[in-house]
Amino acid sequence: MTLTATAPPRSTGTPAPGRPRKSIWSYWRFYLALSPFYVLFAVFGLYPVASTILLAFQKWDGLGPRQMVGLQNFRFLIEDSTFWLSLWNTLVLFVMSTAPTLTIALVLAVMLNSAIRFKGVYRIAYFIPNITSLVAAAIFFAAVFSTNFGLINSGLRALGLPTEDWLGQPWGIKIAISTMIVWQWTGYNTIIYLAGLQAIPTEQYEAAKVDGAGPFRTFFSITLPQLRPVVLFTVIISTIGGLQTFTEPQVMVGETGGADQSGLTTVLYFYNTAFRANDYGYAGAIAVSIFLLVLLFTAINWRLFRGRSTE
Amino acid sequence: MELSRRTLLAGSFAAVAAAATGCSSSMDAGAGKKNTTGNLALWCWPGGLGKSVVDDTVAHFPDQHIKYTEIGGDFKQKLLTTINGGTGIPDVTGIKGEDIASLLPQAERFVDLKSVGADSVLGDYLEWKVKQATTLDGKVIGLPIDIGPTALFYREDVFAKAGLPSDPAKVGAQLKTWEDLLAAGLELRKANPKAPIVADATDMFGTIVNQGTERYIDKDNKFIGDQDHIRRAWDLAVKAITTKVEGRTPGGTPDWNAGLDQGTVPTVTGAAWVALDIKAACKTSIGKWRVAPTPGGPANFGGSFLTITKSAADPAAAFEVIKYLLSPDNQAKAFADAQIFPATPAAYDKPQLKAADPFFGGQATIDVFGPAAKNIPIAYEAPLDAAVAAPYTAALKSVQAGSKSSEVAWQQAVSQAKQIGKRQGVQ
Repeated sequence: MTLTATAPPRSTGTPAPGRPRKSIWSYWRFYLALSPFYVLFAVFGLYPVASTILLAFQKWDGLGPRQMVGLQNFRFLIEDSTFWLSLWNTLVLFVMSTAPTLTIALVLAVMLNSAIRFKGVYRIAYFIPNITSLVAAAIFFAAVFSTNFGLINSGLRALGLPTEDWLGQPWGIKIAISTMIVWQWTGYNTIIYLAGLQAIPTEQYEAAKVDGAGPFRTFFSITLPQLRPVVLFTVIISTIGGLQTFTEPQVMVGETGGADQSGLTTVLYFYNTAFRANDYGYAGAIAVSIFLLVLLFTAINWRLFRGRSTE
Repeated sequence: MELSRRTLLAGSFAAVAAAATGCSSSMDAGAGKKNTTGNLALWCWPGGLGKSVVDDTVAHFPDQHIKYTEIGGDFKQKLLTTINGGTGIPDVTGIKGEDIASLLPQAERFVDLKSVGADSVLGDYLEWKVKQATTLDGKVIGLPIDIGPTALFYREDVFAKAGLPSDPAKVGAQLKTWEDLLAAGLELRKANPKAPIVADATDMFGTIVNQGTERYIDKDNKFIGDQDHIRRAWDLAVKAITTKVEGRTPGGTPDWNAGLDQGTVPTVTGAAWVALDIKAACKTSIGKWRVAPTPGGPANFGGSFLTITKSAADPAAAFEVIKYLLSPDNQAKAFADAQIFPATPAAYDKPQLKAADPFFGGQATIDVFGPAAKNIPIAYEAPLDAAVAAPYTAALKSVQAGSKSSEVAWQQAVSQAKQIGKRQGVQ
């Protein structure tokens, strides 16, 4: 996203006749004006990334000398059943959280877009979870889902239903974590969708009305196709975020990931390997594989959602 | 806007090259360079040292200009980053008990305290604790701040109601082993099904391993986590699960906190400092808690060290400071300050430790913790110990959830632990 936003517009074809092409140095003021971002990005973005990639081919305990080991870390990775389990957990959590988040967000956005009162209040209310401290929210959710004194089990008990040991069961852990992600990200996506909806020209809806289209037909034939680029944006952002789930499981079920390591996401496994087991090289290899996974999913999303409109 | 493949590749190669040169030049910068600020920088985490003791020490050494800094958050990570960075390294720094083993291979980054006269005071400290900061070739890199001897904290009222002994001496006499505790748990369950005697089987497993003289890796860097001493701890934990006398309530969770006060967590097997957590969680059960010796013998959880880095401007002077800061008298004061349990047996006779605690019904808990501290077994803890131990806890959680049988989970834990070890060169 950053690249799209900051790259200078490309000139179309050859320079205009009669105007000689200026040397790159004559634009130094512009480059100087742009440089704070790039300098900060190089120091705090590019360098750590490059350093991590290098680390993936090394063995390092965090303090002693680094030692090149070639592809050994990746060989271990392929044999490492915990790593594959963490990938599986990450993907399941991603699907369990992203699909409801985006669906609910779209429905909410359409509802908020119609003429109702107190629109601003709703918008703020839905957005607040997104700016709540993640750790505080995770502690809160852990309390809500706790077995003996949790809110959910109290509710079930009041209704005469059997209670569950949510954070002690593999599937319960996944439900608890994805519930929290849905809670946190629905509002954000609602606001994005709302902005997209307001950009759709009203003439199209009027024309549809004249043609006798009902609300569902209007939604699927006008709203959704017009929203396609916005949907692409939210899906990509959700993918990048969802594949890096870390704080929620760490706070709610601890570093082991709970029963059957059901909450052990790949980033949590990376964290354990680097900062608890002091195996920084191997952790670098895990980080690189997360990067590749995000890249792969972004490419798939891009293909799926860019659709026919550009062809 | 297109991001061409070529620019992306060129960019990342340039960055990788930059990283390679960057790290190789900074690699050895940490050792050798001395602090020249004229101050003695002392780092610890919040609550790591007694406040009145630190203030007193600063005043006692006016020439040293001691600058005490509390570092919050992930202390070890911040220390490592600073040491790697090569500047601003403190002269004296705390190191937590759980990190000391993994830092022993880097002993050359720290001053061997024996080279600055530690031999004269090492005898004041518990031998097993000093051993934790001693390298295999005999260097001592840290002086103990505190220790974490365990005991069985229990609810006297819950025990009495279920017909179990409730007096600390009688509890100690009857619950000598873990088997005794589990048997008492069955009785307690009959009388009060809401009060499982073991709060969490994975915590119990960790305690039993800490009670042993062998852990997961031996001195020859050989994996021994598949042997009888670990298997025994595993089987006891599994027995607690299968006989339904454990509550799947790990320490620190909301249920645990609430249960302490409400009587659904009637016992806690924990280090002396766990008393702080229990006191913080309890409002209605003040005076109903008691302390008895740990079933199966004492163990240790945590307890930290002060070390002198190679960057210290004057290691000998720095040693005088930590010698004073951690003297038996000051350790007793630190206990009064913040329940920092002394690592010097001489402190156990001081009035600060002998005081009766109304929270524990007027019991003087040192009568339990003191003997425990002196009898903690000496076990070799390999640098990789914590990493190799992690799969066992994870696998036990599967047994707790009923999703794996004990045997399947055990096999899985052993094979994962072996793999983590193999990655780092353990046989």
